[in-house]
Amino acid sequence: MEVSSLSLNKTIKKIDSNMTILVAVTFVLLTVLSILLKGSFLSLRNFQSMAYQFPEFGLLALAMGIAMISGGIDLSVIANANLSGIIAALILTQNITNETTGNQLVLIIILAILTALALSALLGMFNGFLIAYLGIPAILATLGTMLLFAGIGMAITEGRGVVGFPLPFLYIGFGQLSIFPLPLIIFIILAIFVGIIMSKSALGQKIYLLGANSIAARFSGIENNIIIIKTYMLTGFLAGLSSILMISRVNSAKIGYGDTYLLQAILVVVLGGVDPAGGKGKISGVILGIIILQSLQSAFTLFGFDPYSKRLIWGLMLLIVMIINFINSKHKERILRLKNIT
Amino acid sequence: MLKKIPKTNEMYLIIVIIIYSIIVTMVNKSFMSVENVFDILRSGTGQAILGVGVLIVLLSGGIDVSFTAIAISSGYIAVRAIMALGIDSLLLAFVISCTVGLVFGAINGIIIAYFKIPTLIATLGTLNLFHGLLLTIVGTRSVNAAQMPKCFINFGAAKIFTLTTARGSTIGLSVFIIPLIAVILFTWFLLKYTMLGRSIYAIGNSTESALRAGINVVKTQLFLYCYVGFINGIMGVITVSEVRWVNPVYLVGTELTVIAAVVIGGVKLTGGSGTITGALLGVGLITILNSTLVLLGLSSSWMDLFVGAIMIISIGYTSYQRKIENQRLLNFM
Repeated sequence: MEVSSLSLNKTIKKIDSNMTILVAVTFVLLTVLSILLKGSFLSLRNFQSMAYQFPEFGLLALAMGIAMISGGIDLSVIANANLSGIIAALILTQNITNETTGNQLVLIIILAILTALALSALLGMFNGFLIAYLGIPAILATLGTMLLFAGIGMAITEGRGVVGFPLPFLYIGFGQLSIFPLPLIIFIILAIFVGIIMSKSALGQKIYLLGANSIAARFSGIENNIIIIKTYMLTGFLAGLSSILMISRVNSAKIGYGDTYLLQAILVVVLGGVDPAGGKGKISGVILGIIILQSLQSAFTLFGFDPYSKRLIWGLMLLIVMIINFINSKHKERILRLKNIT
Repeated sequence: MLKKIPKTNEMYLIIVIIIYSIIVTMVNKSFMSVENVFDILRSGTGQAILGVGVLIVLLSGGIDVSFTAIAISSGYIAVRAIMALGIDSLLLAFVISCTVGLVFGAINGIIIAYFKIPTLIATLGTLNLFHGLLLTIVGTRSVNAAQMPKCFINFGAAKIFTLTTARGSTIGLSVFIIPLIAVILFTWFLLKYTMLGRSIYAIGNSTESALRAGINVVKTQLFLYCYVGFINGIMGVITVSEVRWVNPVYLVGTELTVIAAVVIGGVKLTGGSGTITGALLGVGLITILNSTLVLLGLSSSWMDLFVGAIMIISIGYTSYQRKIENQRLLNFM
């Protein structure tokens, strides 16, 4: 009994020390970047352009974080976002003519957004069904649906972009409330929402339990299948929301948009302290991870790095973070074992 | 029971391929011509070699998405090195390409074996690392057919034997089939008759039991990722010779299709089960599908949809059966 409570204390302390390290890293990074890049990094303009860019990616990273906490992974988030975006784009472009009045326009836009969100949640539910009821490992199921969703989008559009949205729709991607960009506000609301679900709600607790030990979860009366379906519906919904931000920012929808986000989303999630094996990690960690990655991203742009060297750095960073986590956990394990012996 | 499942799975695939071929032939007679069959064999060789590599990693319970980056890096570096050295030798090309593949494979192996990082995350990292290194250090310039060293062009055009058709044109079976058969035979022998090969199956089934049975998991993983890197090096030369030009961004992005093909061939992603025949049949099905969609009047945009759907159906079926089996045995895994 004593040993188990000790190890529980240890794990709680470990998560908290991870958070302290993350917060420290974020501050040091921001300070170093603002000194190195002087005015250009600390300017309002840079922060605003960052605030327009990262929400669409941030939502995908949150989705990936939830999936990983549940002990799975959702590789299909980007394909899901692309497909929902294309459907929304088709509704927007096919139904609007010169005679469309203001009210009709608003209705069509709302319809497009709701359809995209419903479709993305449905696609997520399909993932959940494959994982829960057919017993396909999450990594495989979402690998398959990633191909399938992108394939459907590809077959609909033949690989071309759907372009030309009405102006009020573009407001979602470009609009501002005083100095705060609208995408940032949407992201903050969603991040708080997801944070509350994961840390305060029963669903969140069940997702953590499922990720920590699915067999134990099952024997403590949790309906694993239902939880898995809800988890992937949530990740799908976040992908759908991300697609709305994405297509309204670039004013077109196409298969292949945001392909680089997959690596970055996984990077941010493990950087934020989520254990890919499931059950451990916090949404606040993921959010700090997103901030770190976006600061680096815009610093690299200000430094003038090409996309290839960025890919190199993201890949290297992912490996280094994973290796540090491994060494860290080995070290902690050894200390714990020594303490238990003495 | 265990012996029966892979056999039936391969039988299903053969039946699907035959039925599909009959349908395509009915729509378009040119499909069954010797020329077209030789063409499909030639274009499928590279995919098949990659498929063998993917198979080995899947058998060990891992998943590798970095192999396209390894293949294109080794091929591209071989071309640029031969151009720089001025020694027009195919053997040297293979030596350079396979060495690069081996080194990259070893990096994968070290990261996975020593640091126990989940293989998908590790190779997603190395995919970007290898490709990023290639593009920033070696360059982004593509090499066209005119600049390409002669040894690659000749290798791409070489035939084992040629036939003269009724219309007077000559067709032949590409020499690519030789490295493919060599890789297949060697891998088959390795997996079936060597301690290393059996260890790969063992760690795929259960790392824990493999450890307790005295298998050196670290050594086995190191070896298999090196070997897969080496195979990808062979593929690098073939792909460069096949298309007669090389663009360093070619191939990367197609890794999922190859993995899907191998999984369709009945290789379980959870490790420990699968055969070379199955993997090759899976690759064959995808290659045929890829080259016949146009004959059926569908654009190539439909490819991913079909591959994704077939993959989900086939893994859904096998996973569901295992789930039922587990439930019957009261196994709560």
